[in-house]
Amino acid sequence: MTTAADAIAVPSSAAPTPTRERFWYPYLLIAPSMIVLTVVSLIPFLYTVFLSLHAAKFGRVTDFIGLDNYIQLLTDPRFWNSIGIAVIFVGIAVPIEFMLGLIGALVLNQNVRGRSILVPLLFMPTMMAPIVVGLLWKIMLAGSWGFFSYNVLERFHLIGNTSVFASPDLALFALIFVDIWQWTPFMMLAFFAGLQALPLGPYRAAAIDGANGVQIFFNITLPMLTPLLAVIGLLRFIDAFKVFDTVFILTNGGPGIATETPSILANKMTFEFWNIGEASAMAVLIWIAFFVFCNVFYQVAKKRLNAF
Amino acid sequence: MTQSTASSRSSGSLFWTGAVIAYAAVVLFPIFWMALMMVMPNDAMFARPTVFLFKPTLDHFNYVLEQGFYWSLLTSFVLCTVSTALIIVIGTPAAYAFARFEMKLKDDLFLFILATRMAPPVCLAIPFYLIFAKINLLDTFLGLTLAYMTFNLSFYVWVLRSFCRDLPAELEEAAALEGWSRAQIFRRIVFPLLRNGIVATAVLCFIFAWNEFLFAFMLGGENVQTLPVSIPKLITSQGVRWGEMAVVGITALLPVLAAVFVLQRHIVRGLTLGAVKG
Repeated sequence: MTTAADAIAVPSSAAPTPTRERFWYPYLLIAPSMIVLTVVSLIPFLYTVFLSLHAAKFGRVTDFIGLDNYIQLLTDPRFWNSIGIAVIFVGIAVPIEFMLGLIGALVLNQNVRGRSILVPLLFMPTMMAPIVVGLLWKIMLAGSWGFFSYNVLERFHLIGNTSVFASPDLALFALIFVDIWQWTPFMMLAFFAGLQALPLGPYRAAAIDGANGVQIFFNITLPMLTPLLAVIGLLRFIDAFKVFDTVFILTNGGPGIATETPSILANKMTFEFWNIGEASAMAVLIWIAFFVFCNVFYQVAKKRLNAF
Repeated sequence: MTQSTASSRSSGSLFWTGAVIAYAAVVLFPIFWMALMMVMPNDAMFARPTVFLFKPTLDHFNYVLEQGFYWSLLTSFVLCTVSTALIIVIGTPAAYAFARFEMKLKDDLFLFILATRMAPPVCLAIPFYLIFAKINLLDTFLGLTLAYMTFNLSFYVWVLRSFCRDLPAELEEAAALEGWSRAQIFRRIVFPLLRNGIVATAVLCFIFAWNEFLFAFMLGGENVQTLPVSIPKLITSQGVRWGEMAVVGITALLPVLAAVFVLQRHIVRGLTLGAVKG
């Protein structure tokens, strides 16, 4: 087989086209996947658009009402509150995760031993079920007896004998803290993988020129790593907006609406208020926003990182 | 590198290794504490100041067994295995086709797959709930399997394509020139080379399904109650059963722990959707 490959020069431009490939062959291969994905994503999306244009409450879909649901949603202060919460959440959590992740990756890159054990362990917060992450911090931050509440927060007089999740001022920051705990390892290990893949040539040249560590970082490492940082940051940014499980088990949007993210609000609108029309309008808007995000991610990853 | 710098480097690496171990110990402490809570009696659990020494108890395990939580474990296991197996069968040819062939609208189809992966689950849960209620798919294995296809089939095709692209095309080209059929080439060349990629991607799919909460909570019920959904059920009207929650939480965590050790560097590739090779 290898001899055949060596002996016959295959024009590199030609994808494997043995006996004049039948044109429909690749379409046959992707058909099952595309049919399933259409059924499970495109049809629900179109149905959501349909619902958003109709009066729909308590599961009964009645009249076509045009854009009324959208107007109702966009004039609902609770909707804008949830957008504000998401912006604060993502705007604080993601940059901190990014910086801590970058520092962690640089440390991990310093010839650390036992990586084959340390790396999987460090991945645990990211890989475990988000609902268990929430449970973990519900335990650690429980009012009065929670390990972290009692031994850290109360000792330093940050909170009294109550749970941080019951405080309207602090609950959101507690959720941000949990998100940082959960996702910093992902940033760190993704950046670390990027560092490991960098070419050695520029570093040898810099060593010969006698550049110091700081110079090397800012003039060599950072420029070469930038596309990767952009792609990972963007991916995390998109994901952070979707946060649901941890918030659901820790505060479910409370106290009041102090931690009500868009996902939590959409869920409440549907399954608590049964205001299906308005919830659908919200889903459609979120969906469109995510499609734009996703397109940006794809273009950046493809062009800057040569991925995909 | 000369000999003298080698020794200074090794002492430096010891320092950094220590730093990473210390960091890992702090970060992972909550998990360790939750593991302790599985055998911690209630009075020790709620003690102020924190009690470190206590007489271990099996009460929490007994309660969890009495309440039949192994059914949730079994449900999770069956659901994740079946849905992942289906995804392998459906998704592998698509991933290969996207990596190897020219197609009309290929970029658009591919972007559609990515968009499906990235769509917020809450937005899908609403139409799924209403449609499933109409066609009697609520609280069924089939319903949840379908719902899991949204994020897992799209993920599988997307990531496995990146593994496919790593395979050298020359082998397939040579085999084609020898007159092998497409099926033969796939079975005897592509599949053996791709096996690691398939396993890594499938294990990640299994973990995502295993961890999934929102769909299982909205679309499941009495018949199909997965392990993550059983956790909030322990917040009862008589109070929160913390020790029992710890038992279920750690149980849910064990397969994930096993998987991260098996997957190692493939995790980064999976979580970044193939953007970073890992």
